[in-house]
Amino acid sequence: MALLSFERKYRVRGGTLIGGDLFDFWVGPFYVGFFGVTTAFFSLLGTVLIFWGASQQGTFNPWLINIAPPDLSYGLGMAPLMEGGLWQIITFCATGAFISWALREVEICRKLGMGYHVPIGFSFAILAYVTLVIFRPLLMGAWGHGFPYGIFSHLDWVSNTGYAYLHFHYNPAHMLAVTLFFTTTIALALHGGLILSAANPEKGEEAKTPDHEDAFFRDYIGYSVGTLGIHRVGWLLAINAVFFSAVCIIISGPVWTAGWPEWWNWWLNMPIWGADPLPVYQSGFGG
Amino acid sequence: MFPKWFDKWNADNPTNIFGPAVAVGVVGSAVFAAALIVTWGNPYQTESMQTGPRGTGMSVPEYNISRTAPDPTIEAYYTEEPYVPEGGEELAKDIYENVQVLGELTDDNFNRLMLAMTQWVSPEEGCAYCHGDGGIETYGADDLYTKVVSRRMIQMTQNINENWDGHVNAVAEVGVNCYTCHRGENVPSDIWFNVTPVNENVGGWSAVQNRGTTMSSSTSLPSNALEVYLTDYDSYVNVHDLESRVAGVPGLTEDVASIQKTEMTYSLMNYFANSLGVNCVFCHNSRAFYEASEYTPQWGIAQLGRQMVIELNQEYLIPLEDTYPPERLGPIYADAPKAACRTCHKGYQRPLQGMNVTNDWPELVSSEAPVYE
Amino acid sequence: MAIEYQNIFTQVQVQGEPDWGMDESGEMMADRAGRPRFSTLFGLLGNAQLGPINVSSYGVISCVCFMIWFNIVGFSMLAQVGWSVPEFIRQLFWLALEPPGPEYGLSMPPLNDGGAFIIAGMFFLGGCVAWWLRTYQLAQQHKLGKHLAWAFGALLWLILVLGLIRPVLMGSWSEAVPYGIFPHLDWTTAFSIRYGNLYYNPFHCLSIVFLYGSVLLFAMHGGTILAVTRYGGDRELEQIYDRGTATERAALFWRWTMGFNATMEGIHRWAWWFAVLTPITGGIGILLTGTVVDNWFIWAQEHNFAPMYDGAFGYEDYGSYETFIGKEN
Repeated sequence: MALLSFERKYRVRGGTLIGGDLFDFWVGPFYVGFFGVTTAFFSLLGTVLIFWGASQQGTFNPWLINIAPPDLSYGLGMAPLMEGGLWQIITFCATGAFISWALREVEICRKLGMGYHVPIGFSFAILAYVTLVIFRPLLMGAWGHGFPYGIFSHLDWVSNTGYAYLHFHYNPAHMLAVTLFFTTTIALALHGGLILSAANPEKGEEAKTPDHEDAFFRDYIGYSVGTLGIHRVGWLLAINAVFFSAVCIIISGPVWTAGWPEWWNWWLNMPIWGADPLPVYQSGFGG
Repeated sequence: MFPKWFDKWNADNPTNIFGPAVAVGVVGSAVFAAALIVTWGNPYQTESMQTGPRGTGMSVPEYNISRTAPDPTIEAYYTEEPYVPEGGEELAKDIYENVQVLGELTDDNFNRLMLAMTQWVSPEEGCAYCHGDGGIETYGADDLYTKVVSRRMIQMTQNINENWDGHVNAVAEVGVNCYTCHRGENVPSDIWFNVTPVNENVGGWSAVQNRGTTMSSSTSLPSNALEVYLTDYDSYVNVHDLESRVAGVPGLTEDVASIQKTEMTYSLMNYFANSLGVNCVFCHNSRAFYEASEYTPQWGIAQLGRQMVIELNQEYLIPLEDTYPPERLGPIYADAPKAACRTCHKGYQRPLQGMNVTNDWPELVSSEAPVYE
Repeated sequence: MAIEYQNIFTQVQVQGEPDWGMDESGEMMADRAGRPRFSTLFGLLGNAQLGPINVSSYGVISCVCFMIWFNIVGFSMLAQVGWSVPEFIRQLFWLALEPPGPEYGLSMPPLNDGGAFIIAGMFFLGGCVAWWLRTYQLAQQHKLGKHLAWAFGALLWLILVLGLIRPVLMGSWSEAVPYGIFPHLDWTTAFSIRYGNLYYNPFHCLSIVFLYGSVLLFAMHGGTILAVTRYGGDRELEQIYDRGTATERAALFWRWTMGFNATMEGIHRWAWWFAVLTPITGGIGILLTGTVVDNWFIWAQEHNFAPMYDGAFGYEDYGSYETFIGKEN
């Protein structure tokens, strides 16, 4: 297969975690490796099972396909295939595929002499996924708490899971995670914009340098984080956004079962505030 | 401190212990924690009640220690079986003076009910709470406000059991009596008063919201949801458009709800949920709150409950305002105490966890003469 | 594999003379203020230098407008708690400057019933516009491309839709978003409830795709660059002009992983577009709500993409109350 103009010198043996030279080759542009084989296995099996489930459901409309987890009554056991068992197998395949993908990325990093920052970042995303479909259901005692595999059906699950805590926006970890999501997006816009504006300056100008970047941002907001700093900040923001998302859902159900607004009663009721000017305020609902 | 040979060996063989130490510490702690949980169980284990099709996420979670704990007021509940009359006994209206509501009871059952009422409402004060301490010959007098209020409350109880069967006996035979609200207290917990405006120096919608209060269920949603929706027969909570394209200006065109009204309804719903210890998906599939084909049966029972509470407040509780002494009235408007969901439910899906409180009390299930089985 | 070698935190901070900034035209220094100083805390992650900052007119106007907005909101909140500072701190997250009620339509309401909100909003708008002009002007003065200004423009689109354009089209200021922490979250939920579940709004879907995609991209791009900093990968501009081994390895990492790759410049275009399309599509989705479509779920049903569930609704079909409270009998 056609390589990139500079690629050939990088296609060397080595860097594998498992299997040595056995799977150390490429198929087209794709690196295989032992974990490429396992990825292909899990993802193919999982995808075929999804399509089979869709066929049993009676629709191939991508918006409507829905593979649902079992009823809560099955607890942590294996459910019959058409009663949620399919979902369980697909979840197993997905987890296997994602972990395989991450380990394959590690092998590629090793071969290219790169740091492991990308697979580490990806591991946080995998952590969020397994938190949603494995850890949280485990802690809550039933696989049925996982989210269904379907485009609009998974959104119905999100809606209901949110309203199960009355007003999910009041979840403090959710507030932090959302803030981190929006901040990451703004930072990405700023970084992309800055690089492009320096590499594509006004007509007739010579392409610019990091000194120009720094000067612009110091003029703009009084601070420039720098070429290395922005990548650290962006990487850390993105990873923390995903991490606190996982936190916000693992505490909903296993740790906190009431509505999230009620959590804030500890603040509203602190003795330091003195007598409440509104005489009707009492401490929160229990029971 | 160590022998020389050890120090020499240590210096000749530098080893990174920091990395392995961290790894062993983390793995070891995890194994330790897992062993503890497996052996002794997770004290904060939760269980969930599924309320909709699998995968929709419709479930109500609760800690095992909370959901299996009996309601502590059940233990203190007093009840006594009725004395089934043989026929021909004297009735209370002929024995005692000024018996306006319970006149058709036999003497035995009349006194039985009186005793129960003191247990349910005034266990410390006893009969004197309503009748005063002038002795039984004076018990016919209506000098104390408590006597006047109780008479009306007996009528209210009979009304609830007779006419609101669809709510209080919806999923099981439960019913209500004085204990359901009072639980041995003179004044029931979780009554409510008018409190809005909650903010100063502003008017309109700004004055009734954006403050964390019990009435707003700790949100910044409006704090007057109960005032608006639980006292007015004509109030309606619906906010959704039932077609995909509807013309109109929110809040100005009829049946086109504003964001503010939506927040008011949402505030009421938060109150509903907290009063019963449940959540929104106990009644709704949240993807379409208004969609009848996706309601649970609890939605209809709750609707009836709201209509019932409006009637109770309008016909029984609010008119008692002039009967109460000042200390029983509201802190801001000196208004009558009012009831809502939590007054009976007190945080449980069924009051007293569904204990039947009417099978011993046929006197309280109807305004007609009691029927004894 | 110790963590100190992963280039997350600077191990040794070198400090020289502060950099006053490029000034090719010779005119920019006049607008700069603030003697630069160093923060070793900032220096752990990025540059340690703080300042100087450009204080030309647009920036001053913008800051003044935002300060006025901030103070109107803050003093309104303080007034609402009866000028009690402890209560202000206690209720801070719950308090808000609320838009007028629907009864006023688009007219100017009394000051204490939404009027202050309108005025504060005007200053907020002024601040935003002035800041956009600053963004554009600074790029002009530095002779850079206008990509940052257009990116901020995308964000301004969303802000304007939420606070100005959509309320005007709806005929009511009451549809605007309140200035308050929990209240703006209440608004978000109420908006979704009122208009039939925003998850079924296709532009909402797109906006979320771009939001999550942006976070994904920054984790990918940030991670990639950090992984090749040992080859000078963070010197992205030079790598664009003259591709070095850092860019080659970064590109090959992704090519071997997922079959295709970007270039050192191209990845920043992916980044810019994903980040910028988040508020653009989001703004469109908000704008269409209530004006064109009043119930997104019904709209979805009409367009055949709402899933059906054939299970029963109600706990009786899945268990019983008695079992749940541990009293099966």
